[in-house]
Amino acid sequence: MTHLDHRGIVEVSDGGVSVELKGETMTLNIGPQHPSTHGVLRLIAEVDGERIARLDPAIGYMHRGKEKLAEARTYAQITALINRIDWVSGFANEVAFIRAVEELVGVEPTPRAQYIRLILTELTRISNHLVFASSYPLELGGATALMWAFREREHIMDVIESVTGGRFHTNFNRVGGVNPVAGGGKSQKKVSLDLPAGFYAAVENAMDRAEVACDELDQLVTGNEIIHMRAKGVGIITKEDALAYGISGPNARASGVDFDLRIQEDSLLPYGDFDFDVITGENGDSFDRYLVRILEIRESIKIVRQAIGSVPDGPLQAKVPRVLKVPPGTAYVRAENPKGEMGYYIVSQGGRIPYRLKIRSASFSNISIMSKIAVGQLIPDLVATMGSLDFVLGDVDR
Amino acid sequence: MTDSPSETTEAPNTLGTFAADFAALVGAERWTADHGTVHVYLSRDQWVAAATAARDETELAFFSFLSAVDWAKEVAVGEPADDVENLDERYEVLCRLSSGTDDTALILSTSLAKDDAWLDSLVSVYAGAAWHERETAEMFGIDFHGHPNLINLYLPQEFEGHPLRKSFALGAREVKPWPGKVDVEELPSTENVEAAAQTDGEGS
Repeated sequence: MTHLDHRGIVEVSDGGVSVELKGETMTLNIGPQHPSTHGVLRLIAEVDGERIARLDPAIGYMHRGKEKLAEARTYAQITALINRIDWVSGFANEVAFIRAVEELVGVEPTPRAQYIRLILTELTRISNHLVFASSYPLELGGATALMWAFREREHIMDVIESVTGGRFHTNFNRVGGVNPVAGGGKSQKKVSLDLPAGFYAAVENAMDRAEVACDELDQLVTGNEIIHMRAKGVGIITKEDALAYGISGPNARASGVDFDLRIQEDSLLPYGDFDFDVITGENGDSFDRYLVRILEIRESIKIVRQAIGSVPDGPLQAKVPRVLKVPPGTAYVRAENPKGEMGYYIVSQGGRIPYRLKIRSASFSNISIMSKIAVGQLIPDLVATMGSLDFVLGDVDR
Repeated sequence: MTDSPSETTEAPNTLGTFAADFAALVGAERWTADHGTVHVYLSRDQWVAAATAARDETELAFFSFLSAVDWAKEVAVGEPADDVENLDERYEVLCRLSSGTDDTALILSTSLAKDDAWLDSLVSVYAGAAWHERETAEMFGIDFHGHPNLINLYLPQEFEGHPLRKSFALGAREVKPWPGKVDVEELPSTENVEAAAQTDGEGS
């Protein structure tokens, strides 16, 4: 068993005599019920003292079989399934799926609907990254950031709720457009079929608060010496490994992969209208993964501020047949989700139900590298690495 | 999946050109470029060589996903395939590779006979294929030769059956058929969808 070559060697100095000790390895079971595993990830670690000699992630505790369930549901019903894949960024999950169906049907969403999708996707991204930026310091031993960032995130959740009626599971996208809630949310009393009254002011306020959260996190966490010692140089992923393992999103960009689906030609939403930067890191370590996300929040704030000033008028919904039959064909459509590339491969055979729906989720590929980068790490470093990958088990297991 | 090559090779777009070039490079006979998605159809023995060529010569370094489709005449769940009479029963394995710098991407596709469902593993080419192949193996019962650790990923090791095969029934639908007694509306047909759409607009 070659993996045992990584055994740590402990040197004990005793009165000038140096003795090499080779420990017996033991198996340490971390999870599935463990606060640092973001849900129900189970890690079977073979440890030599404090050092990990081998790591086997065991997943499937959250497996809900969404791909099978999708084969027994109409396209409209599937929307309700897929925003539960990665519940921290529920709205963003829907966009790529709906775009894939629109691609097969041949419907183009209205400009207004596209802007609303874009704004809500970016709000979701900020919310997702704030959850990361607050829970990551917690895993490294600091609880204050959790309270601070969650407090500001609540403003964003209120905005999302006022438009869609849901905080997490929005179920908001329809083929050809979006379906605003009638009378949902706190700021909305009357029945309305468009964005709620006071929406732009609420978004502006939420962005101000998100910026405050970033400033506070910068003061509290980004320059924090303990965070640096815990996260810098820990869990390094090379650029080559990131690509070969299919690692995407902020995790890949932290490793220097300068790639963002939002600015590609096949981008699903009109990001080309806005001025923003793609943030990349250099070292590919846990700290860069943290930093990329913090900076991405600021970029997303920039996008949202530009977008709310230029939402076009017009209908929210393109003309779509009442009974949605999707013509035979296959399409793969992907989007830059907060966690990385979220893609849907739809095989349609002309009915109301897809013949096959393959869900490509970001977290699944993102954590598949764990067993490689954990070898040789100390157990506390494993927690620092795991937290920096920002995965959600619903997105891993689907 | 029954498009003839003559139909699709005429597509005068850059995607089509890219697909044709790659097909020529790896010796594939058929390709399609519909809905912004390039498929290149390979035989089983071309599989690993084509993935290697995609990585080394076409610079598709990003491993997106690997999965399969069960093409079956009889389905235990959902709607049957189009044109069931002429359907060629098989497993279609798909592997999507894309670029880490632009939007170039393609899907490699190969068909496996149901009684001889095995394929060479891509783990030596793309390390990220390991988990995807484990998932495909347990969900479809496809064997990946040369995989270092082909054990179940999601399901318990003693689980029997392959859930994403079309012959595998969906338990929830077996014990409680849908639409059931408590459902207010049937699976949408032309008439009642119109009614449902109206209540949607006014409700909640």
